[in-house]
Amino acid sequence: MSRKRLAISVGAALVLALGATACMGDDDDDSAATTTDTATETTSAGGGSGETVKIIASVPPTDHGWLGAISKDAQAAAEKHDDVDFELLQAADADSQAQQIQQAISQKPDVLVVLPQDGAALTPVAQQAERAGIRVVNVDRLFTAPDAATATILGDNYQIGVLAATYIADQLKCQGNVVEIQGLAGISVTEDRTKGFTDTIKQKCPDGGLKIVASQPGDFNPDKGLTVMENILQAQSDIDAVYTHDDDMAQGVVQAIRNAGRDDEMFLTGVGGSQDAMQQIKEGGLYRATFLYNPNMAASAVNMARLIGLGEGFEELVPPEVPRQVVVPAAVVTKDNVEDYEQYAFD
Amino acid sequence: MTDTAQTWRGALGRAKALEFQEYALAIVVVLLFIAGAILKPDTFPTWDNIRNMLTQSSVVGVLAIGMTFVIATAGIDLSVGSIVAAAGVFGGIMVGTDGTSSLVFILAAILFATFLGTCNATAIAYGRVVPFIATLAMFSIARGLALLLNDKLPVSLLDLNGGSFGDPRPFSLLWFGVGRIFGIPVSVFVFLAIAILGWIVLNRTRYGRYVIAVGGNREAARIAGVPVRRIIFSVYVLSGFLAGISTVLLCARLGSASPVSGNLYELDAIGAVVIGGTSLAGGRASIVGTFLGVLTFALIFSLMTQLNMSTEIQQVTKGLIVLGAVLLQRPEARY
Repeated sequence: MSRKRLAISVGAALVLALGATACMGDDDDDSAATTTDTATETTSAGGGSGETVKIIASVPPTDHGWLGAISKDAQAAAEKHDDVDFELLQAADADSQAQQIQQAISQKPDVLVVLPQDGAALTPVAQQAERAGIRVVNVDRLFTAPDAATATILGDNYQIGVLAATYIADQLKCQGNVVEIQGLAGISVTEDRTKGFTDTIKQKCPDGGLKIVASQPGDFNPDKGLTVMENILQAQSDIDAVYTHDDDMAQGVVQAIRNAGRDDEMFLTGVGGSQDAMQQIKEGGLYRATFLYNPNMAASAVNMARLIGLGEGFEELVPPEVPRQVVVPAAVVTKDNVEDYEQYAFD
Repeated sequence: MTDTAQTWRGALGRAKALEFQEYALAIVVVLLFIAGAILKPDTFPTWDNIRNMLTQSSVVGVLAIGMTFVIATAGIDLSVGSIVAAAGVFGGIMVGTDGTSSLVFILAAILFATFLGTCNATAIAYGRVVPFIATLAMFSIARGLALLLNDKLPVSLLDLNGGSFGDPRPFSLLWFGVGRIFGIPVSVFVFLAIAILGWIVLNRTRYGRYVIAVGGNREAARIAGVPVRRIIFSVYVLSGFLAGISTVLLCARLGSASPVSGNLYELDAIGAVVIGGTSLAGGRASIVGTFLGVLTFALIFSLMTQLNMSTEIQQVTKGLIVLGAVLLQRPEARY
């Protein structure tokens, strides 16, 4: 069904995004950040028309390192432009986010930047905004209708799973027991990170030597991660690697493993790119890698919103346009390259 | 005369019903343990896993003891999970980055939690706000404070132990999380001590009788000379204080204080209290029941994780077991 269509559009967008990156032609080979750079540099080239763009951004409660970074990055991007009138709204839940956006619509901004708490639940209100002539830039969690957003920028959660599986399979040479501590059950982020992981494990290690011996949700929450991992450590006497869906949550998982005194038995990977995680990767030991899911995409979203408001586009595209969808590539951060990525870490 | 006799018979009947409930829940605990032993013979009925389940029980267990007192007065405290988060972050920022004193963290966390509990108590006992609403407000306020106090960031507490997790000194913070006495985790001792103290206070002191009396019939209690308002005030302060102790146990195990921790712990605590036979209508409370209720939840959680059940199956199973546990107690509970 729509998964296939999604895959095709994601693939197409990836090509587009990489294409835009390649067009830059400079020697910056850090692809994860280049998407951001693209937009910024384009804007500084195309600015100066004298009008102001009113942008309102709406994000879920920022009670999590990654979401906190999203807010800060969006704010910082807006402050770089004199011609942007920016307001950031933080919602408590999906319902109040819908109400906030409705109120925002009545203020008639040029562009709305929305990272929905729940994409499906907020699709109608985004459609309402588009119909009222307000352009919507959708960040990370997808709306479920194509007419709900003018442009979309998202990370690639399936790719995160693929990278994690590839890394772990290589490290363990397809032999061993893997534990997966998932995020919040029932949302697309978690499902995609899991699916990418299991699909790739099957594909890379078809002989079944690498076994996923436990797979349990930790709700992106350190204390849930701690207790779940404590129970798994009881059940599994031999664990070689732990794939966690999130750096914040992974801190609880790390603590469970340390409390049990089993740090030498296994290694662990995270997702996101938090300062804590990068620090531990640098020190070496239990925390071996994280897969960058860059909150900088919020800065890119604000830049895209500005271009849309000004009626401009990415100069590298012919004619200059803002792409319908930009997929930010994921990246593997290990001890070998952590220094290159530390500048993008969030706390 | 007949009145007194009836009251006595009623009280006896209640006591019997309560006893059966406790037995019934004990049977549930034993059945769950046997189920675990059959399904996972190598890893479930081990001393290590029992220790693990008791440790995991301790955080919500301490909350549930406080909740038993609150519910005994026909009240409710929805704020304890949020208070755990707020107190942890507050303690964390009090310690600062170069702090080496665990005592500062422990005192700050407990005092802050008690303070928030006192706010609940004041609103309910003197502001006459319905407990559900007052503590719902605190549920939101305390969570907000937890996020606000350190700019939404968790505070690492490993510095209290020289930056590592190894061999904490007795009575330092991490000792409460990973330390052991005679092979039993310190947090389990704390939980057991609080449960026993709670039992004594509820069943063997005048204060305990007052708490039950206020929950049973507030007007009658007032006429009989029970300081109703002060009793109600005290249970919310107690609940906050115990949330502070719970904070210490959680942060000690986690090695950090996170503003998102303690999420929905209040529901686990309330669930444990209610399946333990304490009446949500007040006037009837059992610490032993609460203790068994907490164990029931820990057993269910451990068993389901060990079996690697998927979340959706876990949720359905947990609900069914809780329902079953309550139904098992029902026939004798009618009086």
